Amino acid sequence: MNEIIIGIDLGTTNSEVAIVENGQVLVIADNNKKILPSFVGIDDQGDILVGESARNQYLVYPERTVKSIKRLMGQDIQVNLAGHAYAPQEISAIILKRLKAIAEQYVDQAVTKAVITVPAYFSDAQRQATREAGEIAGLEVVRMINEPTAAALAYGGNQLEQKRMLVYDLGGGTFDVSVVNIEAGVVEVLSSHGDNHLGGDDFDQQIIEHLLDHLQETQGVDLRQHSKALARITRAAENAKFVLSEQPYAKIEEEYLLEHQGAVIHLSLELSRIDYEAMIEDYISATIDAVHIAMKGAKLTPADIDEILLVGGSTRTPCIRERLYNEFGFEPHSEVDPDLCVAMGAAIQAAMISGQEVNAVLVDVTPYTYGTSAIGYLNDDYYPFTYVPIIHKNTALPNRKTEAFVTHHDGQEVVNVTIYQGEDPDALNNIKIGEFLVEGLQDVEAGNVITLTLKLDLDGMLHVFAQEKATGLEKSITIKNAISRFEHGALETARHRINKLFGQNETIGAVVKNESPEIVEARKLIAKAEALFDKTSSEDKEDMMDLIEDINSCIEAGLNDRLQETAAKLADIIYYLES
Amino acid sequence: MKTPYEILEVAEQATDSEIKQAYLQKVKLNPPARNHERFQQIHSAYETIKNITSREKYALFNYPEADFDALLDQAFSTAQPLLISADHFDKLLRASIDDKTFLIGNPKKTTV
Repeated sequence: MNEIIIGIDLGTTNSEVAIVENGQVLVIADNNKKILPSFVGIDDQGDILVGESARNQYLVYPERTVKSIKRLMGQDIQVNLAGHAYAPQEISAIILKRLKAIAEQYVDQAVTKAVITVPAYFSDAQRQATREAGEIAGLEVVRMINEPTAAALAYGGNQLEQKRMLVYDLGGGTFDVSVVNIEAGVVEVLSSHGDNHLGGDDFDQQIIEHLLDHLQETQGVDLRQHSKALARITRAAENAKFVLSEQPYAKIEEEYLLEHQGAVIHLSLELSRIDYEAMIEDYISATIDAVHIAMKGAKLTPADIDEILLVGGSTRTPCIRERLYNEFGFEPHSEVDPDLCVAMGAAIQAAMISGQEVNAVLVDVTPYTYGTSAIGYLNDDYYPFTYVPIIHKNTALPNRKTEAFVTHHDGQEVVNVTIYQGEDPDALNNIKIGEFLVEGLQDVEAGNVITLTLKLDLDGMLHVFAQEKATGLEKSITIKNAISRFEHGALETARHRINKLFGQNETIGAVVKNESPEIVEARKLIAKAEALFDKTSSEDKEDMMDLIEDINSCIEAGLNDRLQETAAKLADIIYYLES
Repeated sequence: MKTPYEILEVAEQATDSEIKQAYLQKVKLNPPARNHERFQQIHSAYETIKNITSREKYALFNYPEADFDALLDQAFSTAQPLLISADHFDKLLRASIDDKTFLIGNPKKTTV
């Protein structure tokens, strides 16, 4: 049997997990629900809540609940959850762990690998953070694929004729647009563009601001400081948005929001679709501009597009369909479920990687141009930071390009290699994503050749190598946002922290079935040991971690005698620590 | 070193759409997710010869053994305007008429 790799759509507001089973793509339901809201909370007992229950708790305990964590991925900040600070990776890991458990329960075996989707326009740091979230959750992220591409893959597998398609993907927090060619079972992305901080959350925010202003004007109270009332307003705004997708008016009623100077504050207001659409018009226009950029990137005109595929819950907003109709002259497709198709595409890609036959193969592109800076000319003037693009946007992945540079002056021993992402001829106007020095160059005249190789992998992550041609002296880095990045040890610690939140039962969870009593016993010991990690010296912790690793490899290799031996050692340490 | 034509297994006289179909077939059999190197080779072969303009550039600068007659035929019959310079076109023409006059980077022919 092939090992199981699950496909995960880790969304801003909703997440899903899917697999391919007997050639059919299946989004796995948990309690009959295929959609897991991307909410994480800790209840008053200290237990962890993920999904629906956390979303419900948000109204009562906003300070114990985190939503839309995806918006913070890749940033060096911490969020507060019931008095503890967590990195965005850790919160995302909690959602992933839940999805992993849902899948494990369904397939009745342990799952350790996943394909996770990310917005096409996610930066390197955001991708890295997503990979780390997977690791913390105990999932090896075998591939990250772009969300609009995944949707196209889910749709394109069944297409027999050649089609050119525009994928318009507006989620809770991100926007992507891709132009895709589907032909002979190959889903080929021609161009991609987007905005990684634009989505349905912004629409909610517009309504929220409107409601808050209304309360300020009519009742003279500012609710911005009252987190519970604000949570209710947020939910009301979101509901109004849903209603306005179907109806021309939405009635917003929230009673007993707050007591203010002896008076009870109620909210009652009617919002029309026309007013709402005026509030979000700038956002929609920004997405249409991105559509134009993507079309230009694919060197196509609207007449070349055969179909429009809408992805993401926010595309239910009627004016989006209208604006796209105005651009292209036909209605977007609606066969595919905009909430589920991304997870389905991830599952198809996962099946492909695990060696199953699938009817569509994917060729994706990078939405970014990557390059370096060199001494040169800008607008005919001498300029030390001229941008030299090396991998151009919309090139197929994976990709590897090498450019040769020469040293500027005699006896130059050091070159500074700076890597940028962007299109501007002035490198300083682009985003600097990494920098390193190549030192100890040979003492020769100017013109010493240094080659610079940029390698962009299938996950959209960049690796950079610089080499002095004459000597082979090489220096390389993998571009990761150094600040947001977890060191290996930190990842390990985060994993234990998150495991502990889930409690011991969860960590053994669905895995134990069909296992020998020795293994079950050993797993209990491991859970016990992990629970003690916080209270022990780092020396004891390291000993335990080594033993745990040993035990796990014994289980994998089926070495029963050695397993018992090692487990006994671990039991000793636990006994010693507990006494 | 295989030529892009050999990698995609197409004739030098192949049309754009034949080349595209051959490329898609190859990609289907060698998805980027399974074999990075092989895919990159296939993709860059396709980029090199995907249309008449790129085929001409490749022939003029990197592939002196090209079938210039076929290229010239295609150049004349294509509906799209040629995106090569007059100079390149001139060379192409001359190469097609008499490959002895074709002097770019082919020691084998120039020593005749």
